[in-house]
Amino acid sequence: MMEVFRDWFEHRHDYAKQWQKKTGGKVMGYFCTYAPEEIMYAAGILPVRVLGGHEPQAVTEPHIFGMFCPFCRDCLAQGLKGNFNYLNGIMISQSCIHLRQAFTSWRLHVPVEYNYYLPFPHGVQNPPVYKYLTAELRTFQKSLEDWLGSTISDTALDHAIDVYNTNRRLLREIFDLRRGTHPPISGLDAMYLALSSQMVDKAEHNVMLEELLKRLKTKAVSGNGNSRIRLMLIGSENDDTQFTNMVESLGADIVIDEHCTGTRYFWNEVIPQEDRLAAIAARYIDRPPCPAKDWPDRRRIPHILNLAKDYGVQGAVLIQQKFCDPHEFDMPAIAQALKKEGIPSYNFEFDVTVPLGPFKIRMEAFLEMLRGEELFV
Amino acid sequence: MAQEFWRWKEYNWRDPEESWNKAKMLTAGVDVGSVSTQAAVMADGQLCAFASMRTGSDSPDSARKAMDWALRETGLTLDRIRYVIGTGYGRVNVPFAHRTITEIACHARGANFMYGPNVRTVLDMGGQDCKAIRCDEKGKVSAFLMNDKCAAGTGRGMEVFADLLSVPLEQIGDLSYEVDQEPQPVSSTCVVFAKTEAVGLLRKGWPKNNVLAAYCSAMAHRVYTLLERLGVEGDFGITGGIAKNSGVVKRLEKELNLKALTPRYDPQIAGAVGAALFAHTLAQKEATA
Repeated sequence: MMEVFRDWFEHRHDYAKQWQKKTGGKVMGYFCTYAPEEIMYAAGILPVRVLGGHEPQAVTEPHIFGMFCPFCRDCLAQGLKGNFNYLNGIMISQSCIHLRQAFTSWRLHVPVEYNYYLPFPHGVQNPPVYKYLTAELRTFQKSLEDWLGSTISDTALDHAIDVYNTNRRLLREIFDLRRGTHPPISGLDAMYLALSSQMVDKAEHNVMLEELLKRLKTKAVSGNGNSRIRLMLIGSENDDTQFTNMVESLGADIVIDEHCTGTRYFWNEVIPQEDRLAAIAARYIDRPPCPAKDWPDRRRIPHILNLAKDYGVQGAVLIQQKFCDPHEFDMPAIAQALKKEGIPSYNFEFDVTVPLGPFKIRMEAFLEMLRGEELFV
Repeated sequence: MAQEFWRWKEYNWRDPEESWNKAKMLTAGVDVGSVSTQAAVMADGQLCAFASMRTGSDSPDSARKAMDWALRETGLTLDRIRYVIGTGYGRVNVPFAHRTITEIACHARGANFMYGPNVRTVLDMGGQDCKAIRCDEKGKVSAFLMNDKCAAGTGRGMEVFADLLSVPLEQIGDLSYEVDQEPQPVSSTCVVFAKTEAVGLLRKGWPKNNVLAAYCSAMAHRVYTLLERLGVEGDFGITGGIAKNSGVVKRLEKELNLKALTPRYDPQIAGAVGAALFAHTLAQKEATA
């Protein structure tokens, strides 16, 4: 049944168009996982994450300077090429300047009915942030209501929170099964689960996740065997399924990740409180942070180390989008922290397309290194 | 035909003691690189024959030719070799190999053989890439880095300069020191841009030797940054074709403030030697399993 999730991801535009046709609802493209999807979902909107296409392109050259990250350029390219021409609106929750540039350029050159810039604060560790973001979410809600001509009720917000929390809980339960010696699903499949949840109606996604969880729990341990190396992927966004597939084909299991396309997206739930928007605001403020928002305290690194220990990781692959300063800044500190725990790591710099040949040599050598004595007397 | 200045010496070697005759087990490693191919034959873990030649457009063919050439004057045939390991960029294209191992692991193991167990940092300057490797006393990799997206600091770059300046490749090192004063290095980020810069310098009237010095020094600095990123610990050994170019090696030693060790054999065959040693270990393990 894994192919359902894969197809959702690979044919995401078809899915969104069909959803639009079937429900008559509006589809909103969002640019960063700090977007408070629950509010949009409560308004009857399908939020879909804007991701790149991993194909060489030149359409963004007049709009974004070459030293902006390949991900933001690839995202904008999708808009300029008309791949998202079904969107009714776009929104961004402030994360980094690069992605905001893609959003701003899209707004200029690919007109849509509705657009919204949510000034999500960087100082997520400052106490006033909860009040501030709650107020911003209220403004966003009002803006959506004005656009749609209808109000978003507390009941609708409760329902959205419930659907989203269920999705997060199910994904975590499935991911938890990968802690065992024989992970019942591959890293590639786990990637399809997390990615598809960012573009499919969560209520529908939940039904499939429930079914998958049931099957995985009852399934006899088939597993991959002990000789496979347990790896963790760490970095910004990563929807490069080709890379994951290559890594696992070399005799490794990716057992956990720390990406905004993976666990950072769904790791924590909304804790209900009377003021629904305050509850939603708290969830996004307290989530495992993107490095753009992880200061003055470093909360990301202890979180990574916990995951690495919890999932019995033997080695880590640090993935960085070229020119992504916040992540680039974090890499030496993460590598050092992992090394202290006896976990070697290797860095890869990603672009729109990745050179699989040269990356494969590095990955093979890294795995040979992790296998230790296998090649020695 | 015009002289091909970029050509380097292709040759084979065999142990004058003919140690293969008394060996219990023969193993081999074939390193099919992007520019050169080497085959090394080990008699009970000691080097007894090798060949080093240019890689052609057909990798399996290059692997076969190098192996045949290594064996040619030994009277041995391929079926006498118990275990063969393929390595290098074309490692999956060695038709007679039992398995493949990356050139990173093989160069570390080969450097351990050539330079002894005290070598902790290995720099492999190959045809089209460059690797900085840290290893332990067995030659096991503990960390490594590779150049990416750029062939500056590699053999191919040196070939381009030999051709441009009509200087035989093997003379570049010595000639690069025949200068009154060490010139500023040329661009160190791209072979093609460096060449453009060199053409400009020649037009300005720079003598060839100065241009060579400027290029060797740029290349030395390029690999120096890679080594610094990884962290250098002595002893230090260089493998790959550029290890034979004193123009780069001595300038690098100066930047690092560290002497590179002297190899027991041609450092260009280190990858094939490492592969042949792994073949020896794996064949032994297989025999006792």
